[in-house]
Amino acid sequence: MANVTEAHGVLQGDYVTLRRMRVDDAAITFGWRQAERARMLNAGAANVEQQANWIAGRPASEYNYIIELNNGTPIGMLSLVGVDKTNRHAETGRFLIGEEEAAKGVPAAVEAMKLLYELAFDELKLVRVHGTVASENKLMLKWQKYLGMKEEGRLRQHYFIDGSWQDAVCLGLLEEEYRSVSLPRMAVLMKVGAKPA
Amino acid sequence: MLTRDGVLEIIFRALNNLNDEMGPDDKFDVTPTTKLFGADATLDSLALVSVIVDVEGDVSSALDRSISLTDDRAMSQKISPFDDVQTLLNYIMELVNEA
Repeated sequence: MANVTEAHGVLQGDYVTLRRMRVDDAAITFGWRQAERARMLNAGAANVEQQANWIAGRPASEYNYIIELNNGTPIGMLSLVGVDKTNRHAETGRFLIGEEEAAKGVPAAVEAMKLLYELAFDELKLVRVHGTVASENKLMLKWQKYLGMKEEGRLRQHYFIDGSWQDAVCLGLLEEEYRSVSLPRMAVLMKVGAKPA
Repeated sequence: MLTRDGVLEIIFRALNNLNDEMGPDDKFDVTPTTKLFGADATLDSLALVSVIVDVEGDVSSALDRSISLTDDRAMSQKISPFDDVQTLLNYIMELVNEA
């Protein structure tokens, strides 16, 4: 297991580090949200100032991270929100690799998700995480299901994206599925990604 | 029997499916030498998973038996099956040729 402790606002992996998002990340995160790849996400801020205000307004209970390569290059973002310590569940989301070229050849997305799951299941002792993905975001749906999430339902016409309605596909992952499916598959993808060509 | 050409067709189909999901700036050429994952990679991990899922499904259906591209055997290969189209094709043909 990577060195996962959130005590200092940092989750340290072998390839990437998750550090808490700051207001001065507004410009770069706003830029990522404007990119083609982010078209399947919910509409975000209209400008950098709004993005800064949004970041500043995040409640302390949310874990909003910037994904950095271990050379310090920020490449994306990822969050764990809605942490319910009574019912021991939370929602993953805001997952975006914004610097695709910098991330190529590095198992960055996989390790970032692994670090977030380690925070959720190992440190926060949650029993379940869940999230929603737009129904036309087929790559993300395949990816989340491959890594263990199960489809639990649909919210019909939940998102208005690119001028049309899309369902929200509700996905969930239980702790035992994280340990039996997610961790082995993440290990494989990290090993594949780490092999020199 | 699944032939080498048949497996190549399955790999190309998976890569073309992936291209269909890509934005205009992210589309890539699908050729027998397309680099997949690792250094100088064409794919990131989201894209690689899409290819794995599609290829595993289509090859398993064609063989009428389940194959895995991400088990311990695949990971212990000296050359990663996911370096490029040829290494993936060669590895799948190993699996295909096992009775």
